[in-house]
Amino acid sequence: MAFIKLFVFGFIFLSVIYLSISVYSRSVRREKLEKRWDANPPEAADAEGRDTYIAEGMAEYHSGLRRKLIALVYVVPTLVIAVILYITNAN
Amino acid sequence: MRYIRMTFRLLLVVIVFGFFHYVLPQHDIAKVTGTSIIPTDLGGLNSIFYAQTDSGNATLPTRSLRLINTSKQNTFLLGFIKRDSESIMVYRNEDTGWIWPPYFKFDSSDLQATADANVSTADNARWVVITHYGWRNRFFTIYPNAIGIRPVSGPDVRIIPWFNIFFFIFLGVAWLFLRAMWAQFRERSVDPMLDSAGNKYDEVSAGVAERQGRLRRWLGSWQKK
Repeated sequence: MAFIKLFVFGFIFLSVIYLSISVYSRSVRREKLEKRWDANPPEAADAEGRDTYIAEGMAEYHSGLRRKLIALVYVVPTLVIAVILYITNAN
Repeated sequence: MRYIRMTFRLLLVVIVFGFFHYVLPQHDIAKVTGTSIIPTDLGGLNSIFYAQTDSGNATLPTRSLRLINTSKQNTFLLGFIKRDSESIMVYRNEDTGWIWPPYFKFDSSDLQATADANVSTADNARWVVITHYGWRNRFFTIYPNAIGIRPVSGPDVRIIPWFNIFFFIFLGVAWLFLRAMWAQFRERSVDPMLDSAGNKYDEVSAGVAERQGRLRRWLGSWQKK
């Protein structure tokens, strides 16, 4: 059935987008943490301190709101489809 | 070589433009002069320009096609500049269903009824805006697919293509985002990998050169001075 086809392929397509965006977002966040540390490293800083600083920042990112917002990748197209469906078929 | 590249690019532009011109919604100001239903056998050439039977029905090779006969206002430049003339235009009226193009249209029968309710006569012109996608081509027997019909007061209404405006803005943003993602991926993943591969290559070739040097010196020691 056509609806199931749309659902399955749409889900696969959106999952690819979701994964790419989450990888990108994580990468940007890590780079930002690295640069922030390197620009102004505290006294007596070592490589281990840098690693823990970045790991803490990433843990904060993982529990934060920004990461959850990526799930909008699934929500927005569904809403758009619903709106188009309504506008096209409502009299 | 330059001409080949230019031709290729031009072809790409034409294909992309044609794709969007076919798929995106456009608005025609027209007078409906009648509707008709004709049995149709789609050929191999024109079948890709048709959507599907009514979405609840089985797909058979022969099917009835709803047509809306109109007299539409001519325009220049994708409808942005109006002209003072009219020409005949025939629209088909098919469900697009769930798949392609994504108009999610299931109300073909209702649309046909709307068209019938707004038929113009010689004395009483009733203007409508017909939202549609697709092309009319007499040689392939293809028609644009009407999506919606809206009665308007006269032929001078101003139509703003909101959907297309937002669509192209979205496309631009998506393009910039994709470029940023690619740049980040290169900077963080590809370049370090290439660097380390390059270093490895340098190390290996330095080792090879060293060994070759030793061999050559050893061979040299056998030669007469």
